[in-house]
Amino acid sequence: MNEFSSLVQYSIAVPLFLAFITLWAKNWGRPAVQIVAVTGFAIPLILALFAWMLYNPAEPGGYAFVSDLDTGLSLIGISLHLGLNGVSLPLFVMAATVGLAAGLYAAQSKAENLHRYLFCLLVMQAGLMGVFASIDIFFFYFFHELALIPTFIMVGIWGGRDRNYAAMKMTIYLTLGAMLSLVGLIAIYVKSGAGSFDLITLKAHLAQAPLAESIQNYAFGLLLFGFGILVSLWPLHTWAPLGYGAAPSSAAMLHAGVLKKFGLYGLIQVAIPLLPNGASLWERWIVWLALGNVLIVGFIAMAQKDLKQLIGYSSVMHMGYAFLGIAAMSVLGVGGVVIMMVAHGLTVALLFMLSTMVHHRTQTFEMGEMGGLAKKAPVLAAFFVCAMMASIGLPGPGLANFWGELSIFLAVYEFKNWLIFAIVAGIVISAIYGLRAIASVFLGGESDEFVESQKEVSVVDMSWSERVPALILIILLFFVGFFPKTITESLYDSLELEPVYAKGDND
Amino acid sequence: MGSELYAYGLLAIPLFSATLIAFFFRRSGGIAAGVSIAAAALILATALHLIFKVDNFEYNASWIEIGSFSVDFGFLIDDLAKLMLFVVAFVGFLVHVFSYGYMKEDPDRGRFFGGLSIFMFSMLGLVIASGLVTLFIFWELVGFSSYMLIGFYLDKPSAAAASKKAFIVNRVGDFGFLIGIVMVFSHFGTFSLSSLAGVFHGDATLLDSASMTAIGLLLFCGTVGKSGQLPLHVWLPDAMEGPTPVSALIHAATMVAAGVFLLCRTGFLMTADALHVITWVGVATALVAGFTAIAQRDIKKILAYSTVSQLGYMVAAFGLGSLVALDGGASHGHAVVTGGVAAAMFHLTTHAFFKALLFLGSGSVIHACHHEQDIFRMGGLAKNMPITFWTFTIGLLALIGTPFITAGFYSKDAILALAYQQSAPAFFCLVLGAVLTAFYMIRLWKIAFLGSPKSENAERATENGLVMTAPLCLLAIGSALGGFVWAYPEALRPIIEVGESVAHGEHHTTVAIFSIVAWAIGLSAAWFVYQGGAEKDRLESSAKPLYQIFKEKFYFDQVYDWYIAKVQQRVAMTLHFMEQIALSGLIIRGMAGVAGLIGIGLRSLHVGNLHNYVYWFLGGLALFWALVVGIF
Repeated sequence: MNEFSSLVQYSIAVPLFLAFITLWAKNWGRPAVQIVAVTGFAIPLILALFAWMLYNPAEPGGYAFVSDLDTGLSLIGISLHLGLNGVSLPLFVMAATVGLAAGLYAAQSKAENLHRYLFCLLVMQAGLMGVFASIDIFFFYFFHELALIPTFIMVGIWGGRDRNYAAMKMTIYLTLGAMLSLVGLIAIYVKSGAGSFDLITLKAHLAQAPLAESIQNYAFGLLLFGFGILVSLWPLHTWAPLGYGAAPSSAAMLHAGVLKKFGLYGLIQVAIPLLPNGASLWERWIVWLALGNVLIVGFIAMAQKDLKQLIGYSSVMHMGYAFLGIAAMSVLGVGGVVIMMVAHGLTVALLFMLSTMVHHRTQTFEMGEMGGLAKKAPVLAAFFVCAMMASIGLPGPGLANFWGELSIFLAVYEFKNWLIFAIVAGIVISAIYGLRAIASVFLGGESDEFVESQKEVSVVDMSWSERVPALILIILLFFVGFFPKTITESLYDSLELEPVYAKGDND
Repeated sequence: MGSELYAYGLLAIPLFSATLIAFFFRRSGGIAAGVSIAAAALILATALHLIFKVDNFEYNASWIEIGSFSVDFGFLIDDLAKLMLFVVAFVGFLVHVFSYGYMKEDPDRGRFFGGLSIFMFSMLGLVIASGLVTLFIFWELVGFSSYMLIGFYLDKPSAAAASKKAFIVNRVGDFGFLIGIVMVFSHFGTFSLSSLAGVFHGDATLLDSASMTAIGLLLFCGTVGKSGQLPLHVWLPDAMEGPTPVSALIHAATMVAAGVFLLCRTGFLMTADALHVITWVGVATALVAGFTAIAQRDIKKILAYSTVSQLGYMVAAFGLGSLVALDGGASHGHAVVTGGVAAAMFHLTTHAFFKALLFLGSGSVIHACHHEQDIFRMGGLAKNMPITFWTFTIGLLALIGTPFITAGFYSKDAILALAYQQSAPAFFCLVLGAVLTAFYMIRLWKIAFLGSPKSENAERATENGLVMTAPLCLLAIGSALGGFVWAYPEALRPIIEVGESVAHGEHHTTVAIFSIVAWAIGLSAAWFVYQGGAEKDRLESSAKPLYQIFKEKFYFDQVYDWYIAKVQQRVAMTLHFMEQIALSGLIIRGMAGVAGLIGIGLRSLHVGNLHNYVYWFLGGLALFWALVVGIF
């Protein structure tokens, strides 16, 4: 027990507790609801930033801020074992940042039953913080469910076009994915015979007595496809653009930005370290399917006419980079994936938020019905260009994204030479759809539909209440880009501890 | 005080200016212009101090590190960087001043000057970067600032299209560049330019491997994109949609020359095979762009194709000169500066002067003619705009390589001398290119400036103020004297000296005769074909089919448009359609499909081994759990 481990505990407990207060605060009026909710998002960020500054992995297994609470389930080896290592710390901070931005944006939205909407978001936030802070894989999974269920509810109730269909489809896919991965996790628990869900215990146990190859094979297969569905691995990705298209923007921000990373995180922290042989057996699958993400989905993104769908597909495409970096199974590849997860989480959240702001001004997501918005809303245009450039990996706004991509490219080249040509083609593909989006939304003349819609809603530039959440995301993105060592040093130390990655590095 | 502080200062000044403008002076154009011009002046002062008072140095600070992968942020200030720094800071400052007059009435001046500052930041970073990754980062940033400034006129759809095209075409080049960088690191474990040079100096046999040829050519892809070499040159003429000062600074003098600079930076790792390819890409670019320029009507397009053509010369110069050095036995790492690097940089420097001058001159003309750009609608400007006319003429004489009195003559001679030594076909192609240069420039000059005005705008044109003419005069001096070594201060001489000595090599007289004859033929041919202030292009009626090919720019754009519309977009739409089909197919057949799957699953239950039983048991358990929790 570390003197600061309560930082991590409170960052989960506070949003959960304030979620219920939000429901209650309804009686005190709308401002009270907003204040309580925003506090619920701000505190985890403050705590996470403290954790970032104080991080010192002195505890066994390379973790910091470790605490272990008995949940009464110790009989079957489950306890609330929390802590952060170099892999989870940057994601933990990213989750808190995206959370505050999404919370601030949601608090000022015109959603009906705002208190319930914010309740769902806060519960989701608690789950997200928990996912990256859990050392116990049962709770790792539990917190994911805690964040996932409010997502379905928010899509179904506060969603946009096709929300019922989207909510149903998302639920089916994501529940299937979650179930498969749960089966995989239980399989590890049962087969290891360690009698514990604790990651550190399991790791130590399996290092002594690795599972038989056949067991590793199917268990990893389950986890790969389970997590794969959650991360929108091709061709199991179709829920993502649809779901994000329909989801209310704050929910899309939190899901695409943070929750989606659960699967990648699970592969990096749990599946590959525990089942290294299984992972190498499935390596070829990861490569081929991930190429589907980069190339096929990349082309599909080019064909999109709906701004939100476009962002959804582009996010699916970027997951291909992440899977390829994981397939390289080296410190550099996986490290690159973690940097990319942080950068991508911030970028995609920003893009979803900005596209909703575009929608408020144009009354549509159809890019063909916009045009020329930069004249009327130059600040919004500047933010959007910045976000899109970051998303396509342009150094500058997207310096962090670029570090992630560069490390992945290097790792992939050392893993399989020829792959580099396929994966780097992604930078051209993403430039094509990214710049098309900028041009059709912001440049050129105004479309007839846009002229028409302005008769009802006059276009104003970004207000400060819209700028603040966007700035929060951009500041962290710039910070990580310009000072990458603030995350890569501890990241490297943690990854070096995993034999499976360290080995890949020395090959 | 450490020398690196000046380098940091070089980057901090424009960045500070851009930030200031972005946050406070977006709407106050006058102040924004003042801030940006002051920054440019400060940059020039810092750059001059760095060039003259500070010795060459290298500085590195660790930026990111993951195991053996580590990138330094650093500066490499050597003779090459100093020469390029001088060009960028000097031309940059003059263009800033000129822009003050040119953009005076534009309501979005703030954005314009902010963009210029961002550009200066990126370009200076590119020049002084010490490693390939840092260079690439700034390389991408100059691409971004170019994108931003090409699309400056927001409501012009053609500007939006041109900026998009520029960025995407450059990314195609960067595709190769980035792979090249990754391969360099994978082979040598470092991104640092000086460490890499050290590796190659130590072991000349490295240049015999096929993978080095691949690396060289991949890095060259970056040059092909940024410096508008065939077949990726198509973006550069379109980039003329941006304001004319931008065309002068970014798309003529500095950024497009960054590709040539990159070649010079990485010259030590180029194998003979790679150099042959580089040479011929350069030669082909010089010719194709030269022919295309003959049939353009837009003054900026003519100058743009001329830029592409001259960049072809520089690239060819690098290739030819490095080949000469390789053939000379010594691996070209050994010489301090090879003839290739020197000739390319020499021409880059003189070209920066006279092409910036020509663009600014055309800007002066366009400004005076109320944004008329068609030369056949100008005419007679010599009388109305004497300073612009005379400075433009000096720039033009330098560009076409007028013997003995202009900079262009000497720098072009150096290139021709290398070609004469190395390859006869390349030599004759480049001489033909020189004929073309003289031909299309005299055409432009006679039609736009001589004769009588062809439109009201041209008739009413008056000379611009001092803010715009003073930079023209300064650049005119550079265009006239830039060919003489004695005109350069000591610190800038090392490279220019080698460049000049190449021109004064053993075949000096032969090369000069060819060059002068080419100049005379091109000049007199154009003189006789075109009338001063002509309204129609005579070549159009007399050589229709040929003219058509030139006018249509050898159909590059048509081929690319066809590819985008008929191949790329169709593949995208087909994949999208197939995905939609797969989706709705699943929904329609959903129930039946699930039943079928269950059937398959049940069958495997009965034949399966123990693992399958476990699998199903756990699946059932999870299903049960899900039902209890209420997910279904």
